Amino acid sequence: MADIQRRLQALSEDYAKLQKDLQDTVTSRQKLEAQMQENFGVKQEFEKLKDGETIYKLIGPVLLKQDRTDAESTVKGRLEFIEKEITRLEGHIKETQAKMEKKKTEIIQVQTSAQAAVGAGPQAVKGRA
Amino acid sequence: MNLSRRMLTKEEEDAVGDEIEVRREDQDKINKFSRLHSHELTLEEELKVKNKEKEELDDITTELELADEDDLVPYKIGDAFFHLPLPQAQELLGLSIAKIEEEIGELEDKMATIREEMTQLKVELYARFGKTINLET
Repeated sequence: MADIQRRLQALSEDYAKLQKDLQDTVTSRQKLEAQMQENFGVKQEFEKLKDGETIYKLIGPVLLKQDRTDAESTVKGRLEFIEKEITRLEGHIKETQAKMEKKKTEIIQVQTSAQAAVGAGPQAVKGRA
Repeated sequence: MNLSRRMLTKEEEDAVGDEIEVRREDQDKINKFSRLHSHELTLEEELKVKNKEKEELDDITTELELADEDDLVPYKIGDAFFHLPLPQAQELLGLSIAKIEEEIGELEDKMATIREEMTQLKVELYARFGKTINLET
């Protein structure tokens, strides 16, 4: 009986860990989504620029002139990276959700077998009396 | 996570014997430990932010060293930008860096004090409660 308790305890802890993992991943993905929107907005602004217009980058309190080609390729690179990360995280989210479903099934199985054990006990006693 | 200090196994629990009484002063110490830990986490966050700011300031200082002496530097003061001569911008940056280094120093000092207090409380609480208390953060 104590065995089953311990098993349930361990499984519950595993499930809680998976839940936290899922939560953290979802939060990261939301952050990436925001970053992507921001970078996309910048890209659109760049596309509106006429020749000769300057691009500045805010570093600390200073607006530093940027080379147009450099700036555009930096933003492009960032967008590509973010898209890749988002895809990766979405994969991880699906994986974690699948693991959680499995864990839930395991827990239910152990709980069911625990109840069966309790059920068998009184009947064994009854048989002897 | 330090799993070796997690919950006791049944054997360990039995081996402990009679429960040690939690006196008022013990509870106070536990509460204080908890408060200190929260404070520590807050300070850590602040420190992270300040270090990032300092990094940016250092970056721009380096960049400006490569700039043309005759260029005017758009410098943000409040919500406005002022076109400053290079030397003046560099001076302002220097002042900002000095200020932030001081603030970082203060935060680190505060954190050291808190950690000392926490270590002391750990010593006292582990001495009294041994394995039956878990103070690992």
